[in-house]
Amino acid sequence: MRLKTAPAKNLYKYIISYLILWILLFEFILPSNNILPKPSVVLMSFSALWNYYRLLFNFTVTISAVYLSILLAYFLILLLSGYIVRKNHFVSEFLLSLHWFSNYIPAIVFGLFLIYWLPGSAFIEYLFAFLIALFSIIIKVNEDAAKVKNEYINSAKSLGVAESVIAKKVIWKFIQPSVIKYLIVLQFNIWSVLIAFEFIKGGYGLGRIYRLALSYNDLSALFTVSIIVGISIYLSAQLIKYFKNKFYHWSLD
Amino acid sequence: MNREILLEVKNISKTVHGLAGSKVRILDKVNFNIEKPEPLGQIISFVAASASELTSLLKIISAVEKPSDGEVYLSGKHYHKPAGDIVFIPENPSSFPWLNVRQNVEFAVRRQEYKTTSIVNNVNETISLVGLEGYETHFPDNNSLGFRFRISLARALAAGPKIILLDEPLKNLHGETKKEIFNLITELPKKICVTIIIALTNISDAVLLSDKIFLMTRRPGKVADTIDILRTNDLNIQSDSFHSLKIKIEKLLSGYENNPSG
Repeated sequence: MRLKTAPAKNLYKYIISYLILWILLFEFILPSNNILPKPSVVLMSFSALWNYYRLLFNFTVTISAVYLSILLAYFLILLLSGYIVRKNHFVSEFLLSLHWFSNYIPAIVFGLFLIYWLPGSAFIEYLFAFLIALFSIIIKVNEDAAKVKNEYINSAKSLGVAESVIAKKVIWKFIQPSVIKYLIVLQFNIWSVLIAFEFIKGGYGLGRIYRLALSYNDLSALFTVSIIVGISIYLSAQLIKYFKNKFYHWSLD
Repeated sequence: MNREILLEVKNISKTVHGLAGSKVRILDKVNFNIEKPEPLGQIISFVAASASELTSLLKIISAVEKPSDGEVYLSGKHYHKPAGDIVFIPENPSSFPWLNVRQNVEFAVRRQEYKTTSIVNNVNETISLVGLEGYETHFPDNNSLGFRFRISLARALAAGPKIILLDEPLKNLHGETKKEIFNLITELPKKICVTIIIALTNISDAVLLSDKIFLMTRRPGKVADTIDILRTNDLNIQSDSFHSLKIKIEKLLSGYENNPSG
């Protein structure tokens, strides 16, 4: 069964309803609780987040690690696409073998191992995010490359086009929209793993704010940072979707 | 006087993996020659009751697929690696959806820019040859199968091939579009020197399109009979000559069903 996703118009209606419900319930009916903070306290917590938790700095660290790593990994793969999309080479087989494990062990567990192995520094955080983005995109590219219909490859081959050109100009071009769409899922995964990384290592970033807020029992800070993360992921997803629809209009089907 | 041989197919056999690891022979010692057309082009059809063997045969001729046995010679030279001299157009039009009409055609021309053997090396000329002038900036997706076939054909022509292989080009077309593509294919050899080899399961199309028909047996496919068609103006769907040819081919094909060795 295919679940229908709520149309954007309905989605906004739901969000406004939840907002009103939150204000009514937690501002007036249940002002003292340990579930969600009072809306007025959340508004006031912004100054504390800004000054004490260094929201701007920590937010910049996390968001730049997420998107710089994705951009760098994507452009590196774009550069090497002629090699990566070719079947049965060592790198693709090695990565697909790793991908087999991810069917049975949740990907986040690999992240936790990396967190354990790697020292906690800003550079390592960027490297960590980059490696996750790179491997994830390569695996996606290899999966999608196998779905490209043979008729496109055969007709290009019969024109006498070299295999490396077919890989770059046919197979890669075919899968590009699907890879760009995948960045929406990937950014979500990297946000999750990076926040966990920052939380465990205690360096900089939004994970550090979560750690501090938890140690101070600061529910409003936890809540506000979560809203900021949610809005950032939502806006980025919309940007990627727009970019995909505007420049990559074809599909693998 | 014997004409020069353009394409020579010698003992082509193909075995594929079937269900449960079994081996299935789909082509068995296929042999035939095609002479160079004079002064312009020609249309040769391969007709069989089943299409899958024909598709394999076309892929092997164009060297995109390797045979289990046998060789293909083009103008006396062993043709074992795709080089743009024999271009294969699959059943579903394979125009690239991210390129517009002009860019699709240029995809073949760019590779050929240092080649002097191109039959049609001018992109504009090729586009106009398939009736796509005025549509150069249109993209293939959201357009009809006929439109996409024209792009694939233009791209194939731009590579300057001696032979174009069409796999069931009319199969999914209907009505006016089918008629237009039919006319496009028949008119092409009258304008340029190219041999068009078509795989067909529709006998009527084969009779109306071809200068020569090779009849193939059911699996394992092999050439069982050859029929030369004298193209005259009175060969049309209502003519007696058309009906007698059609009946003759139907009888031969059903004979192979009863006696698969042909």
